[in-house]
Amino acid sequence: MLKKTAIEKISQLAAVLMEKGTLLAPVKEVSGHNFAEINDPQKVDLSFYNTIMSPKGAFFPHKEDFVKYKIGKPLSEAEPAVLNLKPAFLFGVRPCDVKSFEIMDIHFDAAGIIDPYWRFRREATTIFGYAYDLNQPVDSADFYNTLGIYAADPEGSDIFMVKKDKELLLKAITKKGENLLSELAVLKDGSAADEKYFTEYVNKGKEYKTRFMTLDQEAIAKKLEDIFDNTDFWTKMSAACLSCGICTFVCPTCYCFDICDDTLFGKGTRRRVWDACMFTDFTLEASGHNPRTQVYQRLRQKISHKYSYHIRKYGVISCVGCGRCTRYCPVNIDIYSIVEAALKA
Amino acid sequence: MTEFKKIEENLKTEATRLLKEGLVTVVLAYGKGFDENHPMPYAAKTIADVENIVFNEYCNYNMARYLVRYPQGTKIAIAVKAADSRAVIQLIQEEKVKRENLVILGIPVQGMKNPKTGEIIDSKTTCGMYNPVLYDLLLGEEVHGAKSASPYDVLAEYEKMDKEARWEFWKKEFDKCIRCYACRKACPMCYCDPCFIDQSKPKWADKAPQSPGNMMYHLTRFHHLAGRCIDCGECSRACPVDIPLYLFHKKVAKECEEMFNQAAGMSIEDKPVLVDFRVEDSDKILE
Repeated sequence: MLKKTAIEKISQLAAVLMEKGTLLAPVKEVSGHNFAEINDPQKVDLSFYNTIMSPKGAFFPHKEDFVKYKIGKPLSEAEPAVLNLKPAFLFGVRPCDVKSFEIMDIHFDAAGIIDPYWRFRREATTIFGYAYDLNQPVDSADFYNTLGIYAADPEGSDIFMVKKDKELLLKAITKKGENLLSELAVLKDGSAADEKYFTEYVNKGKEYKTRFMTLDQEAIAKKLEDIFDNTDFWTKMSAACLSCGICTFVCPTCYCFDICDDTLFGKGTRRRVWDACMFTDFTLEASGHNPRTQVYQRLRQKISHKYSYHIRKYGVISCVGCGRCTRYCPVNIDIYSIVEAALKA
Repeated sequence: MTEFKKIEENLKTEATRLLKEGLVTVVLAYGKGFDENHPMPYAAKTIADVENIVFNEYCNYNMARYLVRYPQGTKIAIAVKAADSRAVIQLIQEEKVKRENLVILGIPVQGMKNPKTGEIIDSKTTCGMYNPVLYDLLLGEEVHGAKSASPYDVLAEYEKMDKEARWEFWKKEFDKCIRCYACRKACPMCYCDPCFIDQSKPKWADKAPQSPGNMMYHLTRFHHLAGRCIDCGECSRACPVDIPLYLFHKKVAKECEEMFNQAAGMSIEDKPVLVDFRVEDSDKILE
């Protein structure tokens, strides 16, 4: 099923989706675009390259309150946080970011303990993937081709959208997407020419080149194990690293968090907050011992986790090549260059 | 002004000489990044490393930030632009590095650009100086005739706000903060280990990216930098959500200058204003 709408009428579609549930879509902020819950349909803005923060926050928010409590009171008086039970629509997700959800599912919905917050939100959400604009230049930081992802891959989306001049084509990819599309009377039916355009666009996406290297999973996993003790290499790679948390916070596949109790005047909240392996206190143990006091140890952990341990444990690289970590690094540390250098080390 | 390319050549020549003669063990400068518009802070330790040194309009990093990473006594050569040299001076004042262990390679330059926005970096977000204050070697001709605006001009709008309006302004700005701590990590003066915000006993602020934790972090950091910030603008450039941190730092720097008649990082003979006591000091702070 293929539907379409004029891009300038996108707010009408947004308004309909808002009636059906919670709409999360890109909005323009001071420094760029970000996904946000839409209160005003006019705010939806598709004129973005990619958002600053990845869309992982839709399922795994930066801060998530679990329970509110009072010190000294019985457990029965504690108030667990209530989940928003409405259906949700995550609108305008780039193909590389769509791919990240599948990787994150491993941690929150497949291995070990199932995370109810993640799972519920995933199930309640319809994903509107959105192809990169093939007429715009690719950002020099991106390298999703290296991870086998292309600019117009519909895989993983429920509905996939491509831009056709001043129109937006929406194609149902899953049953969930098809059901939703059929309910959206605000959209017009696509023509046979639109179908053809969509298919061609998806294929053309394969020629939209980001940085690329041939990456054999087994080879890089092994190589990073082999050079674990090569302190010279890691010191060199991390010489500029400030050890801030930007790369992990903007990353669509970084999932580390800390459970915190915030207590003041006898009232407390237990919540989950994103954490970052680049922070000094990330590995600080209760004894006072810290196994990773040096910047090079922390950067090594980040790279090796994504490109080695993750492959060994789950059979897949924990990176989609969206380029955010490189783009927003204040000192231009580039994970792609580090992986490239590691292979040669 | 000496061309960027020429400065790069001079930087390479001096780095090679200093490493060859064993006068330093590391040269802190700028190196190749993943493309020309994205150079990186760079530590050259061998003569072979020198070929990776670059200098162009995007090399705005304050390399003084990396000085405290090396053990005291390490002989270091450091490339500095105007504001960066002030950071080195401030670190010498605070006894984090010793003057005799440094070879300061001064770079007089104007027209540096913010790689994120392409904007020229000027007195709006930095101290707006072109010539290094302290150096052993100058790698280009001093910039003369290009009169920079006062670094405090940008405060005009800010100072029009009353106390309540400023409070609202910062509350709104701090709401944007994602607590990545890039500002403190990019700052040459933020070297506390551990930083108060990382302490767990006592825990000074909640970890979640929201106030009052955000407020606690930024206001404490702002005040820790009173009289010490040399206005290089690295914090604001590092911020992924564009919080105009420079406004607060400039405001405090201006007040310090008015009260104590001394700007941060201008002379190694000075003491940091909040460490020093002089009979003639302003009493305004007590009013």
